[in-house]
Amino acid sequence: MKREGTAMRMGLWLGLALAIAGQAEAAERRMVLYSANDDTVNKMVAEGFTKSTGIAIDVVSTGSGVLFRRLASEQANPQADVVWGVSSVLLKDGTKYFQPYAAKDRDAIPAQFRDANNLWIGTNLQILVIAQNTKAIPGAEGPTGWGDLLDPKWKGRIAYTDPANSGSSYVTATALLSLWGGDDAAWTKMRALLANTKVLNRSTQVFDGNGSGEYPLGISLEYAGLLWAENGAPVRVTYPADGTVALVEGAAVIKGAANPAEAKAFVDYLNEKPTQEQLLRATFRRPARQDIDLASLPGHMPALSALKLLPYDDAKWEAARRDTLAKLKTAIQETR
Amino acid sequence: MTAIRLEGVTRSYGAVRAVDDVSLTVNEGEFFTLLGPSGCGKTTLLRMIAGFTDVEHGSIWFGARRIDAVPAHRRNTGMVFQSYAVFPNLTVAGNVAYGLRARKVGRAETGARVARALASVQLGALGERWPHELSGGQLQRVAIARSLVIEPAVLLFDEPLSNLDAQLRTQLRVEIRQLQRQLGLTAVYVTHDQEEALAVSDRIAVMRAGRVEQVGPPEAIYRTPGTAFVAEFMGSTNMLPGRIEAVDGAEIAVRAGGAMFRVQGAAGTVGDPVLLSIRPETMRVLAGDADGRSVTEDGRSVTATLVLREFLGPTLRLHTVLPDGTPLRVAALGGQEIRQGAGGALLLGYDAAQIILYPAS
Amino acid sequence: MKGIGGLGAFRACVCLAALLFLGVFLVYPLATVLLASVRDPDTGAWTLAPYRQIAASRYYLGSVGNSLLAGVLSMGFVCVLAVPLAFCLARLEVPGKPVLLTLASLPLVLPSFVGAYALVLLFGHAGIATVAMRDIGLPVGSIYGMPGIVIVFTLTLYPYVLMPVMAGFQAVDIAIEEAARNLGGSRFHVFRTVLLPVVMPSVLAGALLVFIEALENFGVPAVLAEDRPFLALDIFKLFAGESDSNPGAAGALSVLLVACTAGVLVLQRRWLARRRFATGARRVPPPIVLGRGGRIAAGVFCWAVVLLSVLPFAAVLVISFQHFRGPVLNWEITLSNYAALLRGSYRPLWNTLLLASIAAMAVTLLGAPIGYVLARHRSRLSTLLDIVVTVPFAVSGTVLGIGLVIAFNSGWLVLTGGWLILSVAFVVRKLPFSVRSAGAIVHQIDPSLEEASINLGVSPLRTFLTMTVPMMAAGLAGGMVLVWVTVTSELSATIVLYSSRWRTMTVLMFQSLEGTAPGEAAAAASILIVFTALPLLLVYRLLQRQGMGVL
Repeated sequence: MKREGTAMRMGLWLGLALAIAGQAEAAERRMVLYSANDDTVNKMVAEGFTKSTGIAIDVVSTGSGVLFRRLASEQANPQADVVWGVSSVLLKDGTKYFQPYAAKDRDAIPAQFRDANNLWIGTNLQILVIAQNTKAIPGAEGPTGWGDLLDPKWKGRIAYTDPANSGSSYVTATALLSLWGGDDAAWTKMRALLANTKVLNRSTQVFDGNGSGEYPLGISLEYAGLLWAENGAPVRVTYPADGTVALVEGAAVIKGAANPAEAKAFVDYLNEKPTQEQLLRATFRRPARQDIDLASLPGHMPALSALKLLPYDDAKWEAARRDTLAKLKTAIQETR
Repeated sequence: MTAIRLEGVTRSYGAVRAVDDVSLTVNEGEFFTLLGPSGCGKTTLLRMIAGFTDVEHGSIWFGARRIDAVPAHRRNTGMVFQSYAVFPNLTVAGNVAYGLRARKVGRAETGARVARALASVQLGALGERWPHELSGGQLQRVAIARSLVIEPAVLLFDEPLSNLDAQLRTQLRVEIRQLQRQLGLTAVYVTHDQEEALAVSDRIAVMRAGRVEQVGPPEAIYRTPGTAFVAEFMGSTNMLPGRIEAVDGAEIAVRAGGAMFRVQGAAGTVGDPVLLSIRPETMRVLAGDADGRSVTEDGRSVTATLVLREFLGPTLRLHTVLPDGTPLRVAALGGQEIRQGAGGALLLGYDAAQIILYPAS
Repeated sequence: MKGIGGLGAFRACVCLAALLFLGVFLVYPLATVLLASVRDPDTGAWTLAPYRQIAASRYYLGSVGNSLLAGVLSMGFVCVLAVPLAFCLARLEVPGKPVLLTLASLPLVLPSFVGAYALVLLFGHAGIATVAMRDIGLPVGSIYGMPGIVIVFTLTLYPYVLMPVMAGFQAVDIAIEEAARNLGGSRFHVFRTVLLPVVMPSVLAGALLVFIEALENFGVPAVLAEDRPFLALDIFKLFAGESDSNPGAAGALSVLLVACTAGVLVLQRRWLARRRFATGARRVPPPIVLGRGGRIAAGVFCWAVVLLSVLPFAAVLVISFQHFRGPVLNWEITLSNYAALLRGSYRPLWNTLLLASIAAMAVTLLGAPIGYVLARHRSRLSTLLDIVVTVPFAVSGTVLGIGLVIAFNSGWLVLTGGWLILSVAFVVRKLPFSVRSAGAIVHQIDPSLEEASINLGVSPLRTFLTMTVPMMAAGLAGGMVLVWVTVTSELSATIVLYSSRWRTMTVLMFQSLEGTAPGEAAAAASILIVFTALPLLLVYRLLQRQGMGVL
């Protein structure tokens, strides 16, 4: 009988614990954010938002692929109010999950960085760059453009995220294919590039690996390179001379969200100038709005207009995604 | 006191019929043994009576009450297991009181009955001991006390002595028999040991391949086994294959092992293959002449060659071979003087009525 | 006439209740996901196209091949390492045995992705150890690729073989061993021909777990695979990758993974069914006394293996005290990671402990009767249950998580966003462990004990509750703590199912590691290790007293 008593006490204790846990966070205004950004960013934005509006944020943060699987699975009973930190490619693909909202400062953001029907809005831009570990490769000896990466001397020394697992990686590959002409010759060059790379599963592995010297070169993103460089790692960010692409990351209000007012307030907050400056200072996210003086801020990013931007036909490459990925997969396998 | 009746009881596992259409009656207060080699279905049959194995066809009755659909815990049987099954987490007294608790017997009465039951198995002083402090024999006594104390309608024993050593076995079987008789309980006892079965039973059912070969009191089963299987299983009999050479009224001449045996039996046909069951103790060593010629007046004797002699105290076991090399065991009284050594010829006399003739299957 | 009252009814009830639970929380959610592999996404018509695609793709075949190879190699190396280790720890005098035993169980505690991260810092291309060894002239490679993955699996999964085999060696009847020695066998000969066959079922059971875990794990190859494709990783990418979402192919690969696991399970069953090794050991065999040389060799071997396997822990611990600027490691000793962690909410730790406790208790309550019925009773119903209950072994957490979201986000039963859906996922994922460990315990209890109780007038249900359960209690408690420990490090289902209120420690670690705070991840891992190592230590004490294996 003693045992049953113990089990009963345990059960009571558990029930009590659950009740307390449920009680703790009730009452105030809240909203749920699905974010593909990293924890530091989420924490900073959530704290700032709560401070300025009094609305508390519950953050669910994981890879954007998982976030969109969740959004798709939860359609009938949405759990999220806002999704943020995911690429425009996914946002364009997922408009059926969103409700339109004309955000306050949207006019500061160029039209190509937001949805014409206000279903989503860009918040940040990701620039494709080459990151170079200067401890492994002295500054001047590094590549200056994508074309240089084909040199056999870099074999095995370039880290690249698997395009099957990373949207920006897919854009890099397809932008380069376009740059090189999009024909068989372009694929030959692509194969030469892939032959030099180590294909890693997650983009953080590229950033970390490049920063720590695991991989002397990385096909990387502007923010990651600057983040490591400004924190003291021997990382140098090269904006490829033969051109690059600006990827938009944005936010959207979920259709059927339980807290639409809070959600909209949050989307507005994201694109406020102070928020964007704070984000840039801490994590080097390039703002989507073009009225911020980048040169005066940490990282001293060049203005968007100073970069050689390649035209990128995302509709075309979106349609060809499955075939292109299969081709890339084969190319990766064949060059191992 | 309860009589048990089994009617056409059957149970199969896949294609194998473990118990095949068995009908039996165990009388009130009877000590009834199910005997047979392993796999003959005796344990399955016992477990059907206890309720641990489902009855596929047929019915089981305790007196006038049909019980084959009654759950095991409501059948009021007391079962003793081969592995003792003494609860390791309870004391000796706790074990014995277990069934009384289930029956909601009062505390005072339980104490008295447990004490009485323990005294009856000579464990009166060990009530507070834990099972791991007891020997195998003591554990089985605990188990017996535990099943007696609930005053079951029927006592069931599943090879209760086979984990014990020889001396303890003989001692405990006497005690079991005495307790059963004192309490007047109906008992069904499963064993593969024919000596044990002969010693304790009122009646024995010999089983083979799921069927009952023969039912009867121990003497009848031993002396007049109904089939060659029973004869062979019941004792260390010599089973000699042979062929009928001649039939002369009630006397049949059989050639077996290179010798001629003249036995009595139901009419057979010349040339039929048969089996002769010759118990070792039915052969006598005769003081024949050196050539082994017959000296019995009726000529009922054979010659054999001595291979090995075993002195067992009260008896002397002789391992011999018949002329064609067939082995034949002979039991002589230990006091008898037999001069022949290994290789010597023996003249063996027999009583025609003691040799049983079976058709070869 | 069928079904003798209580006994049959009790078994049938357990079977049906378990099948109902698994039907609702395993089969139905999985079906919602895996059916995608046989449905055309546009027309809804039945199709085998995804399977044909896989069979035609060198990439996916390579991925299957790599996974199987890693599984088989890990299984082999684990056996080579863990069986002698188990023998040494069970039968020889080894200095510091209690410490060794505790350390040897630590690998179960650390989420594999954290361990792999720590190992990269040590042994990567530019790892500290790699660079140091190169500096003194040792030409070492990095740990990427197949060798690294196999090494990590071997060093993290060997407790699965070590624990049951140790129990096996302790349960060998000393008489068998003496008989064999008496017949003139050398010690090694006796080990090979007598002891090894006796513990073989335990070895196989453990090795099977290693194989399945190696096949299903995606945290380790995600970090260490570099260029090689792995099945679990591809399933994740196809289901939840941000770029190559293809539920049809993902479903087909999942079905393949389930089939591989099921195949190995069936082989193991077949092998076991033909053999019976039960030996009735009455006492724990005495330690074998070795000469000085042998003692030193055994001690060195044991300590070397165990210390090697706790290397990732040491690394994690060291990293947790290092200063990070953003993501950049600075090699200055600091407590700032812990300070940052403690400044945040205690919720994740609390959630982890609470959810693990709920799951461990629920899984034990469910697993004990199932394990009991499966061990004691064979029928068509129980065979079906046996098969269904082993399926979670083969299903990756991600797939199960997505299935649960689809199944219970709307309609008659809404669970998403709460603690219940996480608990359900944990219970389903850990149920095979619980059932197997309960079954192993039941096998050690003489069935006639229960029959004696029933025979004395106690109903089967009450017999189970008042007689069998108390006898199983120690073993069940051991199994419960192991489930508790492994739940605290679960990530793959949690990441799909958690809501911000129910964020757990592993989620926190994952996010910190993916983000810019690896120091905090290491600090969180260290805290989790402390919180989970203690109960594990207690279990060890318990198991040593009971001398039984619960894995």
